[in-house]
Amino acid sequence: MKPGSRKKALRYFFQRVVDPLGYKFTPDEEMADFLLEQEVILEQKHGIPFCPCQGLTKNREENMKIVCPCIPFHREHFDAMKRCWCGLFVHKDVTNPDELPQIPVSQIMRKEG
Amino acid sequence: MWIEASKVSEIAPGGLKSVEVNGEEIVLCNDQGTFYAVSRRCGHMNAPLDLGTLEGYILTCPMHHAQFDITSGEALSGTVPPDLGDEAVPKGLGRYLQYVGMLMAQIKTCDIKTYRVRIDQDLIKVEVDPAAR
Repeated sequence: MKPGSRKKALRYFFQRVVDPLGYKFTPDEEMADFLLEQEVILEQKHGIPFCPCQGLTKNREENMKIVCPCIPFHREHFDAMKRCWCGLFVHKDVTNPDELPQIPVSQIMRKEG
Repeated sequence: MWIEASKVSEIAPGGLKSVEVNGEEIVLCNDQGTFYAVSRRCGHMNAPLDLGTLEGYILTCPMHHAQFDITSGEALSGTVPPDLGDEAVPKGLGRYLQYVGMLMAQIKTCDIKTYRVRIDQDLIKVEVDPAAR
């Protein structure tokens, strides 16, 4: 299995999931490629392409919430940031992903509360 | 040697059909009107791929969900670990599953064979090697 082919396949599948959610791949191609490569490594190890920027637990149910693209499980948080946690996906209207910082979910909930 | 394998109208877009051509088990795949032919047997444990799913150019095995590129036959991924749920597995069955799991971990997912395809009006023709049998 070639990592390049798997990256292309993941891109193909992810595109179909994130598009109806209002997201797209980050325009930062280098970053997208790097993150997808990490997912390929995680998939080779665990059989599942987990988010490369969130830690796995011993709880399968919790881990399933960070299978990429994990947007549906963290919608409120990601919509507030206009990006997913690791930045592989951004809102469709985003042109400069560097302007979108990571904001901890606790801060977002505090603002709304 | 080109052999008639099926009719175009028998396979809907996104559809799969198994055929036997000159003794070779083949799956015909319709990716949005473009037809491809690959070996019917999964490159992991020989499961019948025509019972799997086709998403664009990616064919997923129904057994352990290994994926293949139908345009090249390349294996795109290995297997997906099963979810055995939270319920306790009977001791004997647990030992058996552990044994099967150990064996499966040793099995590599190989590329699958592809065949050239030609469309002749409503006919799908596949090129097979008559000396291959």
